Amino acid sequence: MIPGRIRSGWLPLAANLLAFLVLAVGTQFLARQSAPWDPSAWSTPWSGDVILVFATLLFLGMAFTMPFHAGVVNLAIYAQFLAGFAVAAAIARYSSLDPAGRAALALLAGAGAGALVGSLVLWLKWKFAVHEIVSGLLLGGALAPAALAAVQAPSTVPALAPLVVIHLPAPPVWIPGLGLGHHVALVGGILVLALGLLVALSFAHVLRASSAGFDLRIVGSNPLAAVAAGVNVDRVQLWMLVAGGACAGLAGALQLWTYPSVAMERWPLPLGFAGITIALYGMGSVRGVLAASLLFAIWLNAPGTLVPLGNPGWGSAVLALLVVPALWTLPRLLPDQGAPRALWRTRHRETY
Amino acid sequence: MAVSARKSEEPVSKGPAGARGAKSPDAIGKGTGLRAKGLTIGEGARWVVRDLDLEAKPGAVLMVLGERGSGKTALLETLAGIRREDRGTVSIGASFEASARTRRRDARFIPQQNDPTHLTVLARLNLARPPRRLGLTIHGGKARARAQSLAKRVGLEGLLDVPVEALRPLERRLLEIAAALDPAPGALLLDEPTSGLGPHEARHLLHILDAIAREDLIPVIFSSTWARDAYPDAYAVAILWRGQPAVTLPTAQVTESALVERWTGGTPWRAPTGQHAAGDALLKIEGIVLEGRGRETSLAGVGFEVKAGEVLAVVGAPADGLSLLHEMLLGQRAPGDGSIQFLGKEMAATDRRQRVEAGMSFVNPPHARDQSLADFTVEENLVFGQTRRGPFAKRGWLKFDSIRGNAVRSLMDFEVPDAKPRDRFARLSLGARQRIVIAREVLRNPVLLVARSPAQGLALEAQEYVRKTLVLQCERGSGLLWLTEDPEEALRVADRLAVLAAGRLVWLPVTETLTREAIIDEMSGTAA
Repeated sequence: MIPGRIRSGWLPLAANLLAFLVLAVGTQFLARQSAPWDPSAWSTPWSGDVILVFATLLFLGMAFTMPFHAGVVNLAIYAQFLAGFAVAAAIARYSSLDPAGRAALALLAGAGAGALVGSLVLWLKWKFAVHEIVSGLLLGGALAPAALAAVQAPSTVPALAPLVVIHLPAPPVWIPGLGLGHHVALVGGILVLALGLLVALSFAHVLRASSAGFDLRIVGSNPLAAVAAGVNVDRVQLWMLVAGGACAGLAGALQLWTYPSVAMERWPLPLGFAGITIALYGMGSVRGVLAASLLFAIWLNAPGTLVPLGNPGWGSAVLALLVVPALWTLPRLLPDQGAPRALWRTRHRETY
Repeated sequence: MAVSARKSEEPVSKGPAGARGAKSPDAIGKGTGLRAKGLTIGEGARWVVRDLDLEAKPGAVLMVLGERGSGKTALLETLAGIRREDRGTVSIGASFEASARTRRRDARFIPQQNDPTHLTVLARLNLARPPRRLGLTIHGGKARARAQSLAKRVGLEGLLDVPVEALRPLERRLLEIAAALDPAPGALLLDEPTSGLGPHEARHLLHILDAIAREDLIPVIFSSTWARDAYPDAYAVAILWRGQPAVTLPTAQVTESALVERWTGGTPWRAPTGQHAAGDALLKIEGIVLEGRGRETSLAGVGFEVKAGEVLAVVGAPADGLSLLHEMLLGQRAPGDGSIQFLGKEMAATDRRQRVEAGMSFVNPPHARDQSLADFTVEENLVFGQTRRGPFAKRGWLKFDSIRGNAVRSLMDFEVPDAKPRDRFARLSLGARQRIVIAREVLRNPVLLVARSPAQGLALEAQEYVRKTLVLQCERGSGLLWLTEDPEEALRVADRLAVLAAGRLVWLPVTETLTREAIIDEMSGTAA
């Protein structure tokens, strides 16, 4: 997979843009079917804001994109996300450090927990031949109760000073009605977002301009050739899964600051899987992930978006639009070798 | 030009040109050129050159022939003023008994090895004397014009923006020659400019040297270990031979074989080709036993040698052990018994990367997936497997200029006109893809090339091109092991030929009477 390039023409990109347009226009249309136009009322359930949701979706997108460049489909992303959330919540609740220390520690521990789950998945694959998709999904199921326990006692989570939202006397006039409302996460949120941007841009640069990035792209594109070139495919995949796990764990830890999280409660899928949506809408490229996470953050904060998400029937339609790009994007992004691509493209052997 | 040696056994004739059209010295130039008289050069406790008289008139080329360590480099360095002579005098141009400093100023010495630089050809050609505005900033327009005129003299005018490190060895030599022409030198001295070049490349370079000598009316002296380099461009050859008195022979009077005989005193002497002399054993495989999978025939005591400069073809059916042998050479299967020695080192337990780093190179069938990256660009495929260190990477970061320059040159040299460096590899035709793979492997200048049916499934023209390119690599001193299922192909390329049947090798002499049917009979076990 080659970053920064639109593979297989512009058609899949146009299809993705169309799907997002339908999603954005559709949710607004459905919202107006159910209630009169009232931006302030519509945005009430959502206490997150663009900056933190952008950061969350960006980290989740990177959590899927990084291993994907090494040819690993990181379906353990949900498990990594939950592990990060649970560990960060435990530290925030039980640590005796001052709030600033707790914030930093919670984020670090969340990232570490996610990375650990990532390496655990590959360890299970090497040691017991458990496929990473199976072990990832099973681990997600196993970690869900721990994460739910952390969610159920929100009042015990202390305010974390560096990331606490700042209450403005009036909504900022420059982004009217986007759900920023009176709450704008400043210092801490911006720092976390800056970290996300730094991670994404650094990864893109390393991928494009370094020898290690070149090897990584070979692993993702053609593992047979990678082996022939002397690249240690297993080691590259492990590092990418660990890096992706750290991103997912960090995104999980960030949920402490967006409680009550629309992500946890209203997103039609478990939020961890939002990383897959972001990565696929972003065509697997880092630039695409940046754009997709920003667009989805704005969409989620837009007034009225939560109305159809709260309706089970309409929620299914939204869910379909979130996963449908996989149909045309995933086969183009999977490596040349291996079974997953063969499932999607039966004529792959004749292609080369 | 006239060349003489005080102790020469045969005086230099100034007679008419010989059968190969050698030039008359009087017809070449009337300048004073470069003269050495009684030149003696010591190195440690021994004399490397003793009492040498030598004269090279303007407008002609003189070759200094000698084996390694015979004093060729010391002689050229002394003539160029880089090294001090122990006795004797050197005159250059109008400077009689020129001092070392004068010689350094007037003569240009081009050493055998020039470290590849990170500069472009344009920058390299302006390195010594960049044209400046008011003595401060470099005048870009004038710099380009000057580089263009210098590069044009050696045929590099189309490569001004290509990094030097992306140039081929021949192009690098030509670039150094071009750089030495500004300011105009009084003499041009080159130390083994043809080493590491194929015969055609060497001839091209020597033609250019001859043209420069004629146009600028300067003497050109170069050294070589190849007697053949004297023909047809050098007027005379000065021979240095193991401390014997130097002898100078005009090429018009001796043939190449007579020259070799005169040089070596009748002793057979093979000049080295690159790192290895022709005929040196590169790969030695002995007693290989390897069990086949399923109904595949096992290898039972297979052994052979691949020598420098030869094509060994092994013909067989894939299930008769050919695939097994190929996988073993690729490092995918370790033999149960026996040894694989490459340049004297045991390689049986090494992987493919280690073998490539040791100097082996592999070209697989065009449809093989492990030798190219379909989703990558052409320029990325041309550096596949070479991005850990220079010239395409530095300190872990890719060097895009070098990668692009390499692609431009490779596509031009290997005649893939429809492809562009940024094109996606998978969009190219099969033939173009295989040319690019071969370009990459050949340009590594490997010691040994292992080709497995490299022309399989290609159009006839592309097949021929692939075979020709790989076989030409043998001229550079590489060995070529050609594994194929096609007897016809084996007959076309082989210097030696073996049939792999029932897990064993049957050797067939490559003669005019060897036929495709005879090979097929051996493959099928029906030979008498």
